[in-house]
Amino acid sequence: MGFSMSQSEKPGGLNRRSFLTATAMGATLPVIQQARAQQAESAPADPRAPVDVKLRINGRDQSLRLDARTTLLDTLREHVGLTGSKKGCDQGQCGACTVLVDGTRVLSCLTLAVMAQGSEITTIEGLASSDGALHPMQQAFIDHDAFQCGYCTPGQIMSAVACVNEGHAGTNDDIREYMSGNLCRCAAYPNIVAAINQAKNEMRKA
Amino acid sequence: MSAAAPEPKANMGQPVPRYDAREKVTGVARYASDQQVSQPAFAFLVTSAIARGDITSIDERGAREVPGVLDIFTHRNTDDLTQTKYGQQGGGASTSIQGLGPEIRHDGQIVAMVVADTFENAREAAYRLKIGYSEATPSASFESAGTEMKDANGIMSVATQAKEWLSTGDVEDALSKAAVTVDAEYSTPTQHHNPIELFTTTCSWQGDKLTIYEPSQFVFGLKNAVAERIDVAPDNIHVVSPYVGGAFGSKAQMTPRTGLVAYAARKVGRPVKLVATRDQGYTISTYRAETRHHVRLGSDRDGRLVAYSHEGFEITSRPDSYSVKGTEETAHLYSFGAVATKVNVVHADRNTPGFMRSPPVVPYVYALESALDELAVKLRMDPVELRRKNDGMKDSFGKEWSSRSLMTCYDQAAEAFGWSKRNPEPGSMRDGEWLVGWGCATAVYPTHNAASAARVSLRSTGEALVQIAVHDIGTGAYTVIGQLVASELGVPVEKVRVELGDTLLPAGPVAGGSVTTAAAGSAVLKACAQIRTRLIGGASSGDGAPLAGVPDGQIRLREGRAVAQDGRSEELAKLFERLGQNQIEEYAEFVPAGASSNAMERLYQGKPTFVGGSNGEKLMYSLGAEFVEVRVNQRTREVRCPRAIGAFAAGRILNTRTTHSQLMGGMIWGIASALHEKTELDEKRARYVNDNIAEYLIPVNADIRDIDIILVPEIDNEVNPVGVKGLGELANVGTAAAVANAVYHATGIRIRDLPVRIEALLA
Ligand code: FES
Ligand code: FES
Repeated sequence: MGFSMSQSEKPGGLNRRSFLTATAMGATLPVIQQARAQQAESAPADPRAPVDVKLRINGRDQSLRLDARTTLLDTLREHVGLTGSKKGCDQGQCGACTVLVDGTRVLSCLTLAVMAQGSEITTIEGLASSDGALHPMQQAFIDHDAFQCGYCTPGQIMSAVACVNEGHAGTNDDIREYMSGNLCRCAAYPNIVAAINQAKNEMRKA
Repeated sequence: MSAAAPEPKANMGQPVPRYDAREKVTGVARYASDQQVSQPAFAFLVTSAIARGDITSIDERGAREVPGVLDIFTHRNTDDLTQTKYGQQGGGASTSIQGLGPEIRHDGQIVAMVVADTFENAREAAYRLKIGYSEATPSASFESAGTEMKDANGIMSVATQAKEWLSTGDVEDALSKAAVTVDAEYSTPTQHHNPIELFTTTCSWQGDKLTIYEPSQFVFGLKNAVAERIDVAPDNIHVVSPYVGGAFGSKAQMTPRTGLVAYAARKVGRPVKLVATRDQGYTISTYRAETRHHVRLGSDRDGRLVAYSHEGFEITSRPDSYSVKGTEETAHLYSFGAVATKVNVVHADRNTPGFMRSPPVVPYVYALESALDELAVKLRMDPVELRRKNDGMKDSFGKEWSSRSLMTCYDQAAEAFGWSKRNPEPGSMRDGEWLVGWGCATAVYPTHNAASAARVSLRSTGEALVQIAVHDIGTGAYTVIGQLVASELGVPVEKVRVELGDTLLPAGPVAGGSVTTAAAGSAVLKACAQIRTRLIGGASSGDGAPLAGVPDGQIRLREGRAVAQDGRSEELAKLFERLGQNQIEEYAEFVPAGASSNAMERLYQGKPTFVGGSNGEKLMYSLGAEFVEVRVNQRTREVRCPRAIGAFAAGRILNTRTTHSQLMGGMIWGIASALHEKTELDEKRARYVNDNIAEYLIPVNADIRDIDIILVPEIDNEVNPVGVKGLGELANVGTAAAVANAVYHATGIRIRDLPVRIEALLA
């Protein structure tokens, strides 16, 4: 479990907190230097040099060598082969890239892969159980035809699962408000609300 | 049954869940940029910073210093790309502005593409590329100096083949004698499709064979256009597009990026993947151009129309004459009396516009249906009754409708809405600090048809396979095509495999003009009939045939058996065994009446043909009536739309679930076009300002409340063999007028320029 991963297990000693602190100080360089230092002690820092990144995705550990600028979304799609998470804007506006990081919904296009180390990442591919049984939210999206083209759908479903778990699916108004970060150009919105209403009861039972 | 899956009424099919549902909710569906190619290089576009002028310098040094850069493509090293023909009618290129300079024709024109080993490096190098320009003053839109206006007569538009402007009678005379007249000007804004899937292209060469992964609404069009652009034989190009993440018209043609990516992939010797950014999407593809309208209506005291005059103005690019000419559709909608129409195109320094969901009717029906509401107010007549007064099975040109259920739609929607409780006085209905307004309008979309091929096979196991290069862009094409095959061959729908969106399949038309079900469905019916003929012929003959001697006409395929009227039957497996086969495969080509005899050949060459609408012997249209409630806050003037009800008649409905979603999504599009969507233009620089999906307002979940869809049964056997009228582009038509009419009812303020904004209501 990502939760139980100790500090020392984190590759390069880099975790979200220290990364955020570093950026908050206005310096991303230390992070990259740290990574760089693993390879060549004396060479000048090359900001493009790949860094070792360890991610835990859908219950599986992944060891990657990535450009430090690689977003979690591009990591999933281009380096891990998990293309369920979609790129609809790459700038935090559409929600198509939504994944769960330690259970919290996160826009993977606004998250660097290095920031997600030490956390449990869940994508749409990790939602159904290993025997193929759909998560109640996935089934509810089918039952209520809560999509058309399907491109926003992985993000909608991940967001909807979190919306229920956050306790923000109490009323239709709440659902509409807390699902408004996920755009659907096909405009399946009323059906998405209906699907969440169905799934929230089943999720409670489960 | 649920709201999303309504109970089928007469002439409607079961709401079976989407064929591709499981793939889409599990993230397994592979859209174009999800396709895995080996060792791809990544491309990043650079687009022009000016709208008009020339590139004077390109400094690649900084960009080339970025490690991993494989090549940089600019006008200097791409001049062997062929200039392909602009395809105003759907085939070919979306614009004639294809080159990367040095001449700049619009803001955001592609001027360079960097290819590198990683996305991160390509992006960095693209930002480091320095392009110098000499800039001329651009003309942005209607208000700008330097535009050029032309009569659009003779310019073919995709939906209408009119050469002359539609007119009948003496409009000026009729208007001068009319008891009541309306004379008003309306405008609609620039809008962008903004499908959630970005404009992506991946190209991969194997020797001289090219595979293109791109979300496409017309794979045969794309294949042939790219072949011309990069000068290779069309047979060497394979386009793969099984899933499309929203399109709405934006993926119907070849845009400038595709040939460039194919070219680059050949040059760098490995697959190249491009995922254009959201803002680039505003200028590297098409959009709905802004329009203006001058509408005049005349009627007698009782509301009978005697005159309709409509002049439209549409923006287009400098070189291309794209225009939608919606008067070709509106002129048939009611019994108008005298009619005069005209459309002008205004050339500006802009990218070329193109098809966006219901291109001709959205702006023109908005203007007409708003003017009708103004007339109803002047007549002190109920707007529904005004439409009833001018409803008829013949238009002003004497042409008859194949079927027309407009007033049934109005009556059912009005009843559900509670329209009879409306106090017509503006500002008379209130709820606390909210002014309540109710409005209505007509939705209409021409019923087209097109050539299509299909291949269907049936196996002894009862499994069927249907293959057609049409496209499911969220419409439900996979599902309804599977349902058709199942019912034609008498097998369960779960046993039908459907393959779409690939040029290795039999050709199908562009996913445009709401034509897919009519065209592909007709071809499917034909192929299934051929299979039935062979099977049933075998069932009624041969040694030991249980149905021997039964006339073929009395044998049906049902539930995996060949069944005679008297109840005798033979299992499919046995029948196949007797025939010594384990599968029967049939290929069929369907060419609709009115299409040229070489329509199929042309389709394989990527050229679409459209028939129908107002061009046949009869008028063929889907129709609907939409009612909306708006609430305008008395103090802040915030406008909300808490409920909307639409009733629609579109011939046979194959699946009430996918139909419901199409119509519901359409009405939300309509509400958005009334209240939210506008691409803002920097008039000085001819540049789109809000080129992202936070500032370009598409509705979010919280903007939308109750949307009720009523499916009105209708039978029309004249439109096409399937009996469907097409409905993907129906429900977003007229909605904007219904909203604006409701805003008038709430406030007494008539909004003639979309979208309805708070500032216009503060006056
Ligand atoms: S791709 Fe991340 S929010 Fe749009
Ligand atoms: S289903 Fe198409 S964008 Fe939501």
